Amino acid sequence: MIQFSALVKKEFKEAFRDKRALMVAMMMAVMAPVMIFALSKTMIKDLVETPPIYIKLSGGEFAPKLVKQFKDDNILAFSQVPVEEKALWDERNIEVIIPESFSQDMLDGKPIDIILRTDYSDQAMNAPIRRIKDAINNFARSIGMKRLLVRGIDVKLLQPVKLIEQDTALPSSNAVFISMLLGLYLLMAAFMSGLSVAIDSSAGERERNVLEILLCQPVSTLKIVLAKLSCASSIAVVGVVLTLVLTSFSVGFVDLSKIGATFNLDIFIVIALILLLLPICFFASALQLFFSFQAKSFKEAQSTVTMIIMLPAMIPFALTFIDDKPKWLDWLPVSGHSMVMEDLFKGLPVNWAAVAITGLVTLAMTVALVVTLSAKLKSEKVVLALS
Amino acid sequence: MIEVNNLHKSFKKVKALDGLSFQAKDGEITGILGPNGAGKTTCLRTLYGLLKADQGNAFIDNINVENNPLAARKQLGIFPDKFGLYERLTAYEQVDYFASIHGLSGTEKKQAIEAVFCDLDMQDLAHRKTQGFSQGQRMKVTLAQALVHQPKNFVLDEPTRGLDVMSTRVLRNYLSKFKEKGHCILFSSHVMQEVAALCDRVIIVANGKMAAQGTPEELCLLAGERHLEEAFVKIIGSDEGIAA
Repeated sequence: MIQFSALVKKEFKEAFRDKRALMVAMMMAVMAPVMIFALSKTMIKDLVETPPIYIKLSGGEFAPKLVKQFKDDNILAFSQVPVEEKALWDERNIEVIIPESFSQDMLDGKPIDIILRTDYSDQAMNAPIRRIKDAINNFARSIGMKRLLVRGIDVKLLQPVKLIEQDTALPSSNAVFISMLLGLYLLMAAFMSGLSVAIDSSAGERERNVLEILLCQPVSTLKIVLAKLSCASSIAVVGVVLTLVLTSFSVGFVDLSKIGATFNLDIFIVIALILLLLPICFFASALQLFFSFQAKSFKEAQSTVTMIIMLPAMIPFALTFIDDKPKWLDWLPVSGHSMVMEDLFKGLPVNWAAVAITGLVTLAMTVALVVTLSAKLKSEKVVLALS
Repeated sequence: MIEVNNLHKSFKKVKALDGLSFQAKDGEITGILGPNGAGKTTCLRTLYGLLKADQGNAFIDNINVENNPLAARKQLGIFPDKFGLYERLTAYEQVDYFASIHGLSGTEKKQAIEAVFCDLDMQDLAHRKTQGFSQGQRMKVTLAQALVHQPKNFVLDEPTRGLDVMSTRVLRNYLSKFKEKGHCILFSSHVMQEVAALCDRVIIVANGKMAAQGTPEELCLLAGERHLEEAFVKIIGSDEGIAA
């Protein structure tokens, strides 16, 4: 016990004195709430607010009522753009072209072609395009209905079937973008927070020539690996908990009720998430130690382990493309965790069996990695690679 | 006491040890001399229990290293070839760490650390982080961490490499004191002058086996030479490694 406590204490001392490693560890914890707050604000603004849109309108004089409809919907002519926004809207270059024959065609009841020309691939154009299309469609629908009414035809005839949509999703499901981001950030935090410490305490020690003298001491390699794992995974746990706490704090400043959604990280969900993510913090650190102990240099360890941290980003992304997910995916680390988190964020009851099975499989894989690594540290291959 | 019996070790086609046997007795400084690639480091790594011999055994205080490496290592103080330090720890914390690994705790540990710091006259270094230490200061910390648990046996792998005269003298004086207390010291070196001045017995290793052994004077007599360096070259039959 004296040995193990000395090994653990030394790992923590070294980790907490390495400012750069700590900065990397806490980066996710700070980045996640800031990103989620900023993205939520932007998305809600796009969905709810109708900021002015400035269009390059040609032929507006031929359709004064349509121009009025535009004005009512805060879609204004480019000539009215404030000086500070002129360059932006000039670059966005939204053109609406009304034909010269607009009034005559309207009188004759002929179809009128209005051209909306802009770069549809630009993400920033989605909301303006939607609003211009809605304005034109509403204008056209109201004219059409009036034409039927003056002919004594019931406008209900236009809609023989009416679809009534009833969304059974809980209000929390509507905050899907927040839950998707938070799920990803939490998994990334588990993988990234302990990363620098894991590399430094394995490949770093080998490069600084302190690993050989440690392996010559009367201490088992299992204790050495467990001490390093305790330190790296504790920092990963701190990273995950901080990400959760700071995110729940920052989401409080976002008014999701504007889009009919709620996102609640109450104490129960936080505890369930921590219980769910604890095993993956150990697994992530064990995986990082496993690969960086076998790397020939610190640089090689960095490259290899960077590939590992792609896992939490790639697996949930790949899962979105699988419609019928095989059952075993529920049990594996990362994939199982992201599925349980999805349910938790939707406000569905916690599937404790899934949490337990995923946790046990993750822990079993961690134990296998630790045992294999401690055996590898006794191997001649590792000893011969020391110098 | 350190004893090596008929050690054989091969790495693929390369025979690193070919029946090496020797004994390093308590109260003596035994030097291992050999050209580069003679098998010294392989032999020492087998002694530490890091490598497993294909044949033969190594014993530390009659404990078979292969059967019980942890118990054997408890009897050893090791001064490695490349002495790296934990640069974010202070010298005191580093020595404290190794003392705890050897099972020391409480007052016993504190006294042991203070004694070794006092012996090596390094109290002023105690609470400084080891980052930026000179080679001599690093040597002292490595020596302190190896000896804090007062091991019966002490193995040094080319300890004076890169050290200035003053640091080398500190090391020699400390080894002499340690020998007087009845400890067994095994010392691998390339520096003939140092081996001649310090060692009670010299083992010359070439091609993985013992080429000769005896006091420096006995080896000179055996080779019919006046200086140990010439005797060494004559015994191993080549001047390889002398410049190292």
